[in-house]
Amino acid sequence: MADVEIKLPELGEGVTEGELVSWLVSVGDKVEVDQPLAEMMTDKATVEVPSSKAGVVKELKAEEGDVVPVEQVLLILEESAGSSVPKKEEPKVEAKQEAPKAAAQAAPAQVSASAEVNPPVAESHVLATPSTRRLAREMNVDINQVNGSGLAGRVTRDDVMGQGGGAQATPSKIEAVAPKANIPKPAFKSQQGELENRVALRGIRRKIAENMQLYKQIIPHFSLMDEVNITRLYKMRGDLKAEAEKRGVKITYLPFVMKSIIATCRDGFEMMNASIDDAAGEIVYKNYFNIGFAADTPNGLVVPVIKNADQKSIWEISAEITELATKARAGKLALEDMQGATITITNIGSVGGTYATPIINHPEVAIIGMYKMTDKPILKEGKWRAIKSMNFSCTADHRLIDGAVAARFLTSMLHRLENPARLMLDMY
Amino acid sequence: MAKNFDVVVIGAGPGGYVAAIRSAQLGLKTAVIEREFWGGVCLNVGCIPSKALIKASSYFKKAQDFFPEMGIEVKDPKINHKKLQDYKRGVCDRMSGGVAQLLKGNKVEQIMGEANFVSKNEIEVSSKSGKEKITAKNFIVATGSRPIEIPGFAFDEKGIMSSTGALAIDKAVKSVAVIGGGYIGLEIGTFLAKIGTEVTVIEAADALLKDVVDKDCVQVVSRKLKKLGVKVVTKAFAKSQKKTSNGYELTYEVDGKPSTIEVEKILVTVGRKPNSDQLNLKGIGIELDKQGCIKVNPQMKTNIEGIYAIGDIAGQPMLAHKASHEGILAAEVIAGQNRVYDAKTVPAVIFVDPEVASVGLTEEECKAQGIEVKVGKFPFGANGKAVSIGETDGFVKIVADKKDHIVKGVHICGPEASNLISEAALAIEMGARLEDIALTIHPHPTLGETMMEAAEATLGHAIHIIQK
Repeated sequence: MADVEIKLPELGEGVTEGELVSWLVSVGDKVEVDQPLAEMMTDKATVEVPSSKAGVVKELKAEEGDVVPVEQVLLILEESAGSSVPKKEEPKVEAKQEAPKAAAQAAPAQVSASAEVNPPVAESHVLATPSTRRLAREMNVDINQVNGSGLAGRVTRDDVMGQGGGAQATPSKIEAVAPKANIPKPAFKSQQGELENRVALRGIRRKIAENMQLYKQIIPHFSLMDEVNITRLYKMRGDLKAEAEKRGVKITYLPFVMKSIIATCRDGFEMMNASIDDAAGEIVYKNYFNIGFAADTPNGLVVPVIKNADQKSIWEISAEITELATKARAGKLALEDMQGATITITNIGSVGGTYATPIINHPEVAIIGMYKMTDKPILKEGKWRAIKSMNFSCTADHRLIDGAVAARFLTSMLHRLENPARLMLDMY
Repeated sequence: MAKNFDVVVIGAGPGGYVAAIRSAQLGLKTAVIEREFWGGVCLNVGCIPSKALIKASSYFKKAQDFFPEMGIEVKDPKINHKKLQDYKRGVCDRMSGGVAQLLKGNKVEQIMGEANFVSKNEIEVSSKSGKEKITAKNFIVATGSRPIEIPGFAFDEKGIMSSTGALAIDKAVKSVAVIGGGYIGLEIGTFLAKIGTEVTVIEAADALLKDVVDKDCVQVVSRKLKKLGVKVVTKAFAKSQKKTSNGYELTYEVDGKPSTIEVEKILVTVGRKPNSDQLNLKGIGIELDKQGCIKVNPQMKTNIEGIYAIGDIAGQPMLAHKASHEGILAAEVIAGQNRVYDAKTVPAVIFVDPEVASVGLTEEECKAQGIEVKVGKFPFGANGKAVSIGETDGFVKIVADKKDHIVKGVHICGPEASNLISEAALAIEMGARLEDIALTIHPHPTLGETMMEAAEATLGHAIHIIQK
């Protein structure tokens, strides 16, 4: 019966870590293959981590609330006899496995001491010089987890230094796009203890906090605002009401805004739907449109994504929005539902406020804000008229998008919303 | 009141004294206990004295066989056994004295006596001046190993000898049977053969140094043994001995058929066993493995907190340099440093003729691990320095991973193989590729050039041999 390490598996494309929300098993439990072991919060979704092996839980290697990188050991299983594969091992390793077991009876303190030790020779399969191997040990970096930058994957001194502080996750694609900023973590000293209530910063809230701080740090934001006469669209929507009810689909303004964004981006503003790959020093233009829309839920902000919105009808988009919003409020969004946005819309204005300056969802470069529709009088050809007016904002990454470009984009986009006929001409 | 230390090292061999010095260097209050001699078996009845004698015997042999060819005329060279023993003792005393000086200089308390554990944190040391109790936060057990005795061949160190007795021979011996053709038996057997003793090696396996050394290396050594007049009987089991007027009648069996030989002395070198039956180790509950070695984890910790074990007593390979490495490791772990045994390989050297040294994996071991290999060899016969000193037997063989050319093993049989192997050990620890060795300028004319050429040969383009 051998001990097997169950590592945190890939949780979705680009996900490098997850927060352990709760254990679904405890030490001594018998576990079947595929049985859920733990609930992990990853990038705004909660997923269950299934077991890849059958066995008995021997040790939990993380605590609830811990952030666990992908591929890090989550727990140790004592493998069931049937499923264990005999491994050829060097005697040195055997001694190591046996000794701590014996020590567990004699001296518990010793076990924890040896558990901190990174794998010994038999398990260090990477190419590294003796002094580099020692450096890794001293920095508490598991050298086996370090991506070697040298010839034939050799782990250099610099590679180990770059991993300092125990961060052992292998860099993923997303991290390549998002350079990790050094964010200070100032303490807040309690002023009036009994009048304050301290709660752990956990789950979605922590994720939001980390992301917002990171995005704001990476991206130099700027915003501009405008308002649009949306009367025609308002009337059009009214005309469609009967048809929509018949189909059981709720038509909102959101799909029209999406279509306007897509049409405008295709009409010379492809930079609004792009990303900056800082690691590579490249601008990535995308020939697909995945449009995120911020949704307010009891647990906080989430951003579901309409994938390939350019290839879907307004009917389809409307139905999908309803479905995703329902899932979001119920906390049932899958990770995939929230990934891969190329540009985002926030309609915080439906709650209140005339204008806002939202934070761009990196690695996107723009976020479009839409606000409450109001009745307004306008003076046209010497006469006052009542119109339906709506405010819009365009917040962009100034590294890639000049002020004038954003202004032209917003104008062009709003022109389409003001004249749905124009938008129709853009339809595929 | 009992003396108290941070670290007490038991045994002052190449593991123990090194552990004690490093402990002291790290600011720990350290004592070392030794029952026989500073430097242990290695410096007194093992590695060092055997090297003195082996070198003497090879000079003697050269004076007879090779000096005339070089134009040096020496009339009838003879061995003065008493003087040779004096020389050997001088070497040992100097080394052993050096160890005592180093311990003193590092403020390690040296205690001469026999230790026994009273409890997990106390020992009693018996010496000429009586008994004393010593307590310590940490103990490092480094009490080594001793030659294995076989039934019917109890050591008296005069007629039936272990290595210890053989290294103390102080007069000409006509004939010796060496039971066990491992590295110790062959080293001493070669020494004896060179000073004129008829040597018969009785080996249980079907080859000498089986599974210890690269097969091609064994071939070169076997050929040379034959040339020296050493008889080798394989698949042979020593059964009994009978004292005769001039020595012994030794009976051995090959395939169940008994044979006898008459010899003056018998040397038994069938291996060494750990001294784990001593020190009252069992009494305090130290866990041993099947071979009787103390079980340790990669930090040299035993199952009892605060007790460490290093060197021969902590398992194979029973080599002095492994013991020293582990001694330093144990001391640093005790001092709270984050250390673990993570050496990739332990080199091995055998002082037969020619010398054999190896590090890393053999071709067979690579294959067993599923590593596809590239193998190259360069003979000493094609090396200028080797030819000029008249030592042309043997070769350097490199085994590398075919895929990325990373050096997996180096096997040398030839002059100064023991000194040449360190470069190979460094190459393996550094994860060097064949190109790294080939592109390093090796000085000319030296034996070391063979390493560079062997790397080139493995890549298929050595300069000084013809490769198609």
